[in-house]
Formats: sequence, structure tokens, C-alpha cells
Amino acid sequence: MAKLRRSRRPRTTLLILLLASITIITLDARGGFGRITSGVRSVAADTFAPIRSGVNDIIEPMGSFLAGSVHYGAVRQQNQKLQQQIRQLQQQRAQSVQTEQSLQQLSAVLHLPYVGNLQTVPAEVIDYKSSNFAATIDISVGRDDGVQYNMPVVAAGGLVGRVVQANHHTATVRLISDGASLVDVLYGTPGAYAAVTGEGSGKPLSADLIPINTPLTVGELFVTSGLNGAIFPPNIPVARVTSSKTGVSATEESVTLQPLADLTNLRYVSVVLWDPASP
Amino acid sequence: MTARDASRVSLVVLAFIVVQQTLMLDIRIGGVHPDIMVLLPMAAGLVGGPGRGATMGFGSGLVADCLLPTPFGLSAFIGTLIGFGVGLATVALDRSSWWLPTMAALVGSVLYEVFYALLGSILGQPQMLHVGVARTALLVAVCNAVLAVPAVRMVGWALPKVSTEGMPTSTAGSLR
Repeated sequence: MAKLRRSRRPRTTLLILLLASITIITLDARGGFGRITSGVRSVAADTFAPIRSGVNDIIEPMGSFLAGSVHYGAVRQQNQKLQQQIRQLQQQRAQSVQTEQSLQQLSAVLHLPYVGNLQTVPAEVIDYKSSNFAATIDISVGRDDGVQYNMPVVAAGGLVGRVVQANHHTATVRLISDGASLVDVLYGTPGAYAAVTGEGSGKPLSADLIPINTPLTVGELFVTSGLNGAIFPPNIPVARVTSSKTGVSATEESVTLQPLADLTNLRYVSVVLWDPASP
Repeated sequence: MTARDASRVSLVVLAFIVVQQTLMLDIRIGGVHPDIMVLLPMAAGLVGGPGRGATMGFGSGLVADCLLPTPFGLSAFIGTLIGFGVGLATVALDRSSWWLPTMAALVGSVLYEVFYALLGSILGQPQMLHVGVARTALLVAVCNAVLAVPAVRMVGWALPKVSTEGMPTSTAGSLR
């Protein structure tokens, strides 16, 4: 009997934990619990940001030191010094190039022609996707800077994505390349509506709702439509056409697009303080 | 579980999440980063049996969910299943075998990633199936297989030293 009780206990534990998990998932998906989970995630992100930053500050110099030790281990002492000097100079040069690039990106982010009079908050990209299953970035501004859920994020070139999690000092942005991303767009003259969807990190975008045999040229620009109540304000450049074809028995044109913002090399972005309710 | 045990388990989970969110996120192999949080339920299942594997999977999964953009509770659900599954599948095996943690990490990680993507797509995130699930599962599994032995040692240090369900204490102790 005792043996039977022992063998049943893990199954009971499993059942309880699975039910708890399903309850959490369901409540989160239905929205009612969403505020709580969003709050929990916000607190976790705010708590974790300084830890992550501190650990990175410790680990990066150690990594550089170890890499240096391995690299120079077999070389004579004099050569070591000379090579170290060369390395330092190269690092300085690389850093200055990097700094220049960062400055260019930051400068571009601060002077975005297409946002017009809309207020923006510049931000640094502090982390790329934290999950292998979502194309997201973390940025260095949050609710304390006026950033709210669903606000659009732009960079030099065009649209980057939208805020899906706003914490106190940081925010998570879902990139337009993410499979769950959908952007209402306009293309052509006088302007037809379509929807641009992501296909995953590093992959081209695709466009839906484009009728078959629509004459599209490579390089044609797609901009946000800004439809009434839209998440994105109008006329933000999104992507350019890279290919277009009509499949056999297709009901829509098959269109692939290249995002205008370089989503794989983002250092600085701007959050547009846009409220769809009062455009 | 005493306060000391609880603090040890918390410390190990915290260490894993810190390493995951700092070191591991910076390592990219073919665009995929390692996911060492998957190791916790598997290690707990190996060391403490199905019940503890499930509990560790739920707890560490919830912690991971706090910092992930995917549906909240998904990691906890899959972690619970994987922790229980590894504990159950290895209950009759010789736990002192050198290859067992590596093999469990390899198979468990593949199952974890595949189920994660499948369930995520069912829960309204269809893009989770379009990110190269096979490549992600393979790379995560290989990384976890390499790190399996130290992970099992750490979890073994943290979990309370009592007899585990379905196996004798002497055998369970061999992995600590």
C-alpha cells in the first residue's frame, strides 16, 4: 500500500503542475490575466537589467583577457609586447570605426525625415532576441520615458517593429521580421492596401492581399497605411519589393520584400510616441 | 524541503538564468543561442526522479517565462513534462552511467524544443514553427549535451538528499 502511494505521488505532482501551467497559459491568452503576467515580466526585466549589465561588465574583460592569453601564449616576450601594441592599436581603430558607425546610426535616428512632427524617444538596443522562437530586441527606454505598449519603433531606413512589453526602464520590441508581425501598408499609385507579414528572423518579409497580376516592380516602396486606429502612423517606409510572381491557381500575388531598416544590425532606434486613438 | 534546500535550489536556478541571459544570449551558432534552462528539469529528473523533475521544470520554467517574449506558462508546462519524462524514463537505468546525463540532455532538449514550438504554434504563435525548429532543437541539444554533466552535479548539490521516487537512495546518490 505504501509502495502504491509512493508511485502515485509523482503523478499527482505532475497533474497539479500541468493544471497550474494550463491555467496560467489560458488566463494569459484570454487577456484577463495579461496585466498580471505583463506586470510580472516588467518587474523581472527591471530587476534583471542591472544584474545582466553587471555580469556583462565582469565577463567581457575576462573574456578579452583569456582570448589575449591564448593568442600570445607561444610568442616570445618581445614579440608579445609588439603584437599587443599592434592589437591595441587595431582595437582602438576598430573601436573608433565602431564609434563612428554608432554615431552615424544615432544621428540618423535623431533626424528621421518620415516621422514629421511626431515625438520620438531615441533608444539603444541592449539585447537581441531572448528566445529562439521570436524576433525581438530589448531597448534601453521604458515606461519612465513615455514608452507604452504597441508604440511603433523606427530606425534609419524605416519601420523596425512595435513595443510588445514596456518595463520601467527597458522595453521589448517585436521586429517586423517576426512571424507574428503584421503591418498594414500602402503601395503603388494612387495607393492600394496590403498587409506585410514577417517570416522569421533574417528572412525576407512577405505581402498579403495583393491581387494576382498586379504590376509590381522590384524596388517598389511599401509604407505604413495609417488606417484609422492603426498601430502605426502613416507614411513610414517599411520595405521594398525584391520579387513578385503569380503562382498557378493562386488567388494572391506572391510578393517578397526587403525591410528598409537593417534589422540584423540595430544599435539605435527611436520609439514613436504615437497613440492610435488620437492621431 | 528545508529553508537551506530551498535556498540552494533558488541559487542554482538563479545561476542558470543569469548565465542564460548574459553569456548564452551572446553565443550564436547559426543564429541560434543555447538554452541551458532546459537542463534544469532534466537534471532534476535524473537526480531526484519524476516528481522533482516536474517540480523543477515548473519552477524554472516560470522563471524563464518572466524573461521570454513567448506565451507565459509555456516553458513551465513543457518543463514539467520533460522533467517528469526524464525522471520516469531513466528510473530503471543505472544512474551512475557516464553517458546518461549526456544522452538525457540530447534527447530531452530535442523533445523540449519541438514541443515548445508545436504548443506555441497551437497557442496562437504560428511563427514558432517557421524558425527552423530542427536546427534550433539540434543546436540546443548539442550544447546541452556538452553541459549536462556539470548541470547534473549542480542540481544534485541543490536538491535535498532524500530517497527518490522509484529508485534506491544509493543509486540516486551516485549522481550527486
